[in-house]
Amino acid sequence: MQIDWWTLGLQTVNALVLVWLLARFLFRPVANILSERRAEAEKTLDDAAAARKAAESEREKAKAEAAKTAAGRSAVLDAAQKEAEKQKTSLLAAARADADRLRDEAKAAIAGERRAEEKKMSARAGRLSVDIAKRLLERLPDEARIAGFIDGLAEGVAALPEAARAELGDGSGPMTLAAPRALQDAERDACKSALRKALGHDVDIKVAVDPDLIAGLELTGRHASVRNSFRADLEHLQAELTRHDDA
Amino acid sequence: MNGSPLVLEPVFFVGPVPITDPVIVTWVLMAVLALGCAILTRRLKLRPSRTQAALELFVTAIDGQLRDIVGGDTAPYRALIGTILVYVLVANWMSIVPGVEPPTAHIETDAALALIVFGATIWFGVRARGAGGYLKTFAEPSWVMIPLNLVEQITRTFSLIVRLFGNVMSGVFVVGIILSLAGLLVPIPLMALELLTGAVQAYIFAVLAAVFIGAAASEGG
Repeated sequence: MQIDWWTLGLQTVNALVLVWLLARFLFRPVANILSERRAEAEKTLDDAAAARKAAESEREKAKAEAAKTAAGRSAVLDAAQKEAEKQKTSLLAAARADADRLRDEAKAAIAGERRAEEKKMSARAGRLSVDIAKRLLERLPDEARIAGFIDGLAEGVAALPEAARAELGDGSGPMTLAAPRALQDAERDACKSALRKALGHDVDIKVAVDPDLIAGLELTGRHASVRNSFRADLEHLQAELTRHDDA
Repeated sequence: MNGSPLVLEPVFFVGPVPITDPVIVTWVLMAVLALGCAILTRRLKLRPSRTQAALELFVTAIDGQLRDIVGGDTAPYRALIGTILVYVLVANWMSIVPGVEPPTAHIETDAALALIVFGATIWFGVRARGAGGYLKTFAEPSWVMIPLNLVEQITRTFSLIVRLFGNVMSGVFVVGIILSLAGLLVPIPLMALELLTGAVQAYIFAVLAAVFIGAAASEGG
């Protein structure tokens, strides 16, 4: 057996060259890609861990935010409830005040209407009483509507204060004597006579017819008047009644 | 085939240098392997194709084996051990190509590989703990062991050579003898057995190389 030293040497060189070639074209690229993948995987894992950490942090933040929002919501609800209660109370008070005011106004209106109605009723009653009185007096003799009131007129004049009596028929003009109908001469004279007696001097009178008097006489001077008629009595009576009702 | 089949006949000469069959076959293998690897690793991506996954599996398996044997960082040894494995495997399997003798069936190729392993053992040992430190390992566990350790360095290298050479050469011879005696199809089971033997021998050669290098390097560690 022989050894070919040239072949041995060449094969040694060939093997070394092949080591270099495979290192260059096989082992190094594959090892590089493996380490690259490992680095990429580690980076991916690190990124995932960081992302998970960030996500957990975000979740915690969101949880805290939600709790804060819930607390704020609760506070807002409480405040809104309090405000609603306050407004409710205020509205109730305002409504109560309005109701009281409306009730008072209604009461006042009702009272006013009642007073107006009563006045109307009183006026109507007055008118009715005047009518009744007229009707009743129409049954009496016509003379009685004058004669029965002459003395009363004279008493009224006599009851006037002195200054007022002096003023009546002081000659500055005729006094007006209102009667429900035209006076007869005898009645005129009786009136004049009674007035002279009451005043102490002659008087000049002008007779005026006023059927509203119903019965009686009314003497009117410049500054004073004496009323002795049914109309005056009825008006006085009505005024008294009204005042009594108002009281 | 004239004369001893163990004697290499030059195919041609380059100057004074005779170029024999094993050298030519090795050159072809080198070209094919380098070209194939260059093509396969041309477009490596982070999302691997099937081919890339197979390549990565192969390299990862070598790394795993080296890690078990040598320990620590396997990158310095990967190319040498991996190349020995690939080359011996492919060279052994050349026996199934008609008209081609495996380069490893000639002792020159096996001796070249064993020499490289021998040199690598010294290189990695010296690199790991320095020349003095490496030389001191021959005196372990006692200076009495120095001759034995020296002899061991030689004998284990020879054992690498002879083991690979004997197995591959014998296989080639057996197949050749059977083929000459029995005809066309009879050697096929033996050829299949040769494939298995070739794979096993490639693995053994690579692992033993790793063990020798790892032993030298780890002694320094």
